[in-house]
Amino acid sequence: MLMRLLSLVAEGGVHSYATLADQLGVSRGLLEQMLQDLARMGYIAPVGGTCDTSQCHHCPLGGSCATDTQGNVWVLTAKGVQATEDKHRGTGSSPG
Amino acid sequence: MEQQKTITVALAGQPNTGKSTVFNVLTGLKQHVGNWPGKTVEQKTGSATYDGSTYRLVDLPGTYSLTANSPEELIARDFIIQEQPDVVVVVTDAAMLERNLYLVTELLPLSTPVIIALNMMDVAKQEGRPVDPRALEQATGIRVVPMVAAKNRGVKELLAVVHDFVHDGVEYAPDKPEVREDHRALLDDVQAQIAGSVPAPYPEDWVALKLLEGDKVVTEMMKENLDPARWAKVEGLLREYDDAQLAVAGGRYEWIERATRAAIERPKAGAITRTRRFDRIATHPVWGVFTMLGILIAAIVAAMAIGMPISMGIMNGISSLGSIVAPLLANAPAWISGLVIDGIIYGVGAVLAILAFLVIYFALFGLLEDIGYMARVAYVMDRAMRKIGLHGKSFLPLLMGFTCNIPAVMGTRVIETERARLKAVLLTPLVPCMAQTMMLTFFAPLFFGPGGATLVMVSLILGALAVMGLSGILLDRVVLPGERIGFIMELPLYHRPNFRTVGTYVWQRARQFLTRAGTVILAVAVGIWALSYLPNGDVETSILAAIGHALTPLGNLMGLNWRMLVALFTSFVSKEAALATMAVLLGAADTEAGLAIALQAAITPAAALGFLVTQMLFVPCLGTLGVIVEESRSWKWALAILAYLFVIAFALGILVYQVARLVM
Repeated sequence: MLMRLLSLVAEGGVHSYATLADQLGVSRGLLEQMLQDLARMGYIAPVGGTCDTSQCHHCPLGGSCATDTQGNVWVLTAKGVQATEDKHRGTGSSPG
Repeated sequence: MEQQKTITVALAGQPNTGKSTVFNVLTGLKQHVGNWPGKTVEQKTGSATYDGSTYRLVDLPGTYSLTANSPEELIARDFIIQEQPDVVVVVTDAAMLERNLYLVTELLPLSTPVIIALNMMDVAKQEGRPVDPRALEQATGIRVVPMVAAKNRGVKELLAVVHDFVHDGVEYAPDKPEVREDHRALLDDVQAQIAGSVPAPYPEDWVALKLLEGDKVVTEMMKENLDPARWAKVEGLLREYDDAQLAVAGGRYEWIERATRAAIERPKAGAITRTRRFDRIATHPVWGVFTMLGILIAAIVAAMAIGMPISMGIMNGISSLGSIVAPLLANAPAWISGLVIDGIIYGVGAVLAILAFLVIYFALFGLLEDIGYMARVAYVMDRAMRKIGLHGKSFLPLLMGFTCNIPAVMGTRVIETERARLKAVLLTPLVPCMAQTMMLTFFAPLFFGPGGATLVMVSLILGALAVMGLSGILLDRVVLPGERIGFIMELPLYHRPNFRTVGTYVWQRARQFLTRAGTVILAVAVGIWALSYLPNGDVETSILAAIGHALTPLGNLMGLNWRMLVALFTSFVSKEAALATMAVLLGAADTEAGLAIALQAAITPAAALGFLVTQMLFVPCLGTLGVIVEESRSWKWALAILAYLFVIAFALGILVYQVARLVM
């Protein structure tokens, strides 16, 4: 389950919670749990504190983007990428 | 079974599942609070009676799982292993069942039987995700007792079930989580190696599982209890399978998915499906892009259609104000009337006129952001790129630059190689952010008139999209060849716009803008006016003109006369300041005409395009500049980046002008 998640993400690009949940056949709540776990184990990491709202006064739009509607964003870490290339994986698809 | 025996029941559960409530309801006043022996963690024990039997209840610390990472978890698992209660009741919150079942998966490998108390059934129902306790029982082979402990419903039944379970000798054969298939041989091997050396009462299979997970306490324990040769073998096996914890945890999630598939009703109506339905179009690789273009263009056109007439009206009013004030200052020294009228009234006035337009823009985009649409933009771009064959070549932070460049720059931190990260940073300013797009929306109609402006805006946005696609390829070939970076993004649910939030936001931005108009822009307007007045009151021979003329070669390449060139340079300080500069300098040339007419007379459409491109690219905003300097972490690099931005901005501006000249 977790390995499938990592493999999907290792293909590169952006994956939404909704698409991942569908592809894994799980509910969004369970997916969120798995992501928290993967983060704790170091396979994914949050992309960072993305907004520095102290800079918004420079911007004519003044921080219209920095509202509460921002969701979480994660990136696959080097450890996560390596896990998908592990030679012991049973699913048989080639690494990378 | 002797009816007089005391039955020990351990109460486990994750925090906030109502475990304490269940404990209190069961034990009433017959409870004792102390500490776990040798620890600072609180221990609650109590007793209850049912049908002639006495139950000793032990409230275990609330824990998410049973790792070795916290004293609470160690206390909980040691109690179950050492004291071997008759039953463990896991209290779960029916509204958070999937999360709570993780603890159950940790308990199942231990030999103590598990019973699930399904609490907060009312909350789950309220939230539209009711749970079927019978389905859960069937799927797992574990007794499930539904309840609403806070209202004292179903708690007595729990004791009845425990009673029956202990006394009836009913078969307990739960479905247990399994390790991922490709690690089962490993598990068997490890278990074979530790066989016979596991200290009682630890179950051997549980110990093997924990070794796979890298559990610190279990690892230490086995290291001490195994002879060195066998321990070396175990270590070797575990080192070979260094991601075994994924296989173990993954198995637990598979179990949870199986258990809840039939038991939890998927939500049928409401916010979630509304979001999914709209997103099917909004995030579609083709339709999503069209939707985005449609929405952005509609917002821009609306801003122009509503805001421009108001702005123009204000500018005409400013002009009239100038005409009224002029005779009043007829007797004052020339420089005062110049300063007041040309410098302050025209300069600052032009910027105030823009406020009407800005308010509309703030409101429209604030609304889009509030309902949650803007979060989709980066995602749609990625899907569009995938559709045209750029698989895995999109870099999310860069795509987020479409909204704001600052997270784009900060997002490059995910690139671990320093040199590669710096190269990625160089790509970020090429993507125009929402603020830049907005300023373009204001300048475009001034240069091209309303009709031409729409065409220009659409082209610029399409250009931005093309840049984003190209940046992906550049990143792949030049910065991080061959690597694919994977991102996971949460798209928030759409929700009804909160007009109060948007209203507050618009008010704050407008106020902030006015403050800036009163300070920075006023200073720039006065400064520019002064430079254009000194030394002798004639614009053509002023200091500013001298500077402008010195830059003539550059101006020629871009088709800009010296006034526009000066305006371009002031735009590096702030876009609004550029507007003030233009008003001051052009107003001085022809006091009666509106700024738009003056602008269109001062510059050809081709040159206007070049102007827009350059001012868009250099110093996207001081905030971005600040972050770039921070991220580059050395003055050398920061200066290099500044120089690069300068060159790119002018190079592209010149290129655009020269090409446009040929075409237009």
